[in-house]
Amino acid sequence: MQVRTYIRPASLADALHTLATVEEPIAIIAGGTDVLVYAREDDRYANSALIDIYGLAGELGQIREERDDLIIGALATHAAIAKSPLVLRYAPILADACRSIAAPQVRNHATIAGNIANASPAADSLGALAVLRAKVGVQSPEGQRELAMDQIIARPYRNNLGPRDLITYIRIPKLEGYQHMFYKLGRRRAQSISRMTLAALLKRDSQGVVEDFRITVGATFPRPMVFPDVDAMLIGIRPAQADLEAVAKALSNKIPEIAGIRASTAYKQPVCEKLCLRILNNLLGGDQQ
Amino acid sequence: MSQVQLQFRLNGKDYSIQADPTQRMVDLLRENLHLTGTKVGCGVGECGACTVVLNGEAVTSCLVLAGQMQGADILTVEGLSETQIGSILQQCFVDGDAVQCGFCTPGFLMSAYALLLHNPHPTREEIKVAVSGNLCRCTGYVPILNAIEAAGLRLAAEGK
Repeated sequence: MQVRTYIRPASLADALHTLATVEEPIAIIAGGTDVLVYAREDDRYANSALIDIYGLAGELGQIREERDDLIIGALATHAAIAKSPLVLRYAPILADACRSIAAPQVRNHATIAGNIANASPAADSLGALAVLRAKVGVQSPEGQRELAMDQIIARPYRNNLGPRDLITYIRIPKLEGYQHMFYKLGRRRAQSISRMTLAALLKRDSQGVVEDFRITVGATFPRPMVFPDVDAMLIGIRPAQADLEAVAKALSNKIPEIAGIRASTAYKQPVCEKLCLRILNNLLGGDQQ
Repeated sequence: MSQVQLQFRLNGKDYSIQADPTQRMVDLLRENLHLTGTKVGCGVGECGACTVVLNGEAVTSCLVLAGQMQGADILTVEGLSETQIGSILQQCFVDGDAVQCGFCTPGFLMSAYALLLHNPHPTREEIKVAVSGNLCRCTGYVPILNAIEAAGLRLAAEGK
């Protein structure tokens, strides 16, 4: 690919120093599974300093616990997340989402931070991260901050990060006793770009009363969304079929409400309603774990 | 782009070469090192023809920057017959007619190699997932899946 300079920092500190001082426009590359595709299309990086952080996986690729949170290093690959015992225990919906991305070769090299930064509306990890209420840790020469999933992405393929910002980790509150469901609708299981994804988390007490419920739709809105008003419809009740139907209706009504009436709405709205109802029935018909 | 010194291990041999780190790994393999067994199909990570094994994992070398080969241990189809798993896989592909035009074959072999490296006795479903990122337009996949399954059985018979 065409770039002005190629820089491979030796450490995170080195990377932050480079980000603070480099004069050219900055392009950060991690796994590169999106960047190398864009580089084929045009010479958009020709004047850029390409900062290759993939070698920092030792510092930025770990998955660990920090009290009540799971910390996923920015450079953790989708494959590593999908098989991480910590993720499978505390955030299994993210493992399912990461397992549905592309195919093994891409999952082995592409990173979670890259999936976020690329900001594709169809990115499979984003819906799972949204219902998990993940926060994205960002470091820049000015300091460190955390952004929620609906804050970090502005619109399709545009994140809210500055050129000298670096995603360093994803923070996910640990969940226990939740049921989860991640559903990807695509033309085939591998390699397809999602038409729609649904991600749902449900926690019930021993009487079947819903303690917590979170659902979202991906590949449908300009950025990851959470819907506290829809989630609230099930919380505190023992849901009957009519309640599930009402949730499915309310969730699918968000599509024209937020994205506007588009050519795809006639397909996506009824499909969303059906899928939502199917998922809720699966969750409520199944065992609590 | 100026050249840098890249050091890596490839097919069991140590390399130290001057190369452009911003080219694709597959171009370095094919153009700089003349290892043309690795094929370029789609160039966007969808067909799997360029699959190589990087630090024990299958990756599409059209989506890996050459600079990321620094310090890595790489296996391409040219090094396959030197390994026990690879040699068995190659024989099973031949025996099972899992090759027709041959363009996709190096990629399938490398995906299958990475699978058997971590999981010597995979189920049929695990084999399907392992090669889900490889496209074949000739065989219809069944002979390929059969060949990988047979390789797993032969590895088991040889006590691996």
